[in-house]
Amino acid sequence: MGQGAGADLVSEEIEHAFPRLKLSGYSITSPSSPDYNCIAWAASDSERWWEPDPFGLYYWPEEAPLRVTLEAFMAAFATRGYQPCENSHIESGFEKVAVYVDAEGRPTHAARQLPNGLWTSKLGKSQDIEHELEGVTGSVYGSVAQFLKRPINE
Amino acid sequence: MSMATIRSPQALQYLSVVGMSRDSQVVTEQWLKSEEHYWLPITRRPQGDAEKFQSLAETWRREVQFLSSVTEMVLHPAYQRIIGMGAAVVPHLLRELERRPDHWFWALTAITGADPVKPEDRGKLRKMTEAWLRWGKEQGLTW
Repeated sequence: MGQGAGADLVSEEIEHAFPRLKLSGYSITSPSSPDYNCIAWAASDSERWWEPDPFGLYYWPEEAPLRVTLEAFMAAFATRGYQPCENSHIESGFEKVAVYVDAEGRPTHAARQLPNGLWTSKLGKSQDIEHELEGVTGSVYGSVAQFLKRPINE
Repeated sequence: MSMATIRSPQALQYLSVVGMSRDSQVVTEQWLKSEEHYWLPITRRPQGDAEKFQSLAETWRREVQFLSSVTEMVLHPAYQRIIGMGAAVVPHLLRELERRPDHWFWALTAITGADPVKPEDRGKLRKMTEAWLRWGKEQGLTW
């Protein structure tokens, strides 16, 4: 990311939406892009926007139900080899994803674990960031409800 | 004082002919602008479709930037007001797509009933944009 007033403004907007990031620390790792969302990014796809929209305008794996439920999102990640797991601990040979839900249990966000233990997130149409798992919890994305993992070489 | 007393630019030109200095013209122009603004503030001026669309689009972009779901984004009141503008906003949506690709597909489909995106291109913003711009040209629309 560039330096200066523009970068400061971006950081201000991010920290306003996700105040925990300011305390836990984060770094911006990409420019903003409406090309892909957090679900796609967590599944390592930066070419498409993943969404179970009722019009069927966006990409959603055919094997997964076209619904905004945790089960439907787990089924979507399962098409990329992810299976449920218990926690966020780093496991050698595995890549993990955390799915966030709102107060009603509707999925709002997903983040992917990096080899260094930090997490990478695409913030809506905005930037990618590296952050602590709890950094993006709060009023926008809610809290983590499910961890998934898959073998790295699959 | 009523709106009828506000001087027109033509009157200003006439005044310059009868001997106003350049400084006087500048002062008079500013006075006329402030008088016009006093009687007709920007918030009470009728907006054209283009101006209204741009204002709503900017609000929408700013306020949904961190949402991960287009389904949530399109529920924003600004986006709903854009859909409510109906067929008149379609050229503005296509111009905006061409200039700055974004998630206007839901609005375009809702307004026109069309869905020109190939199944294999769903979710690919650039391909979806190309399909809609092609559709617009096929419909004879200009933007």
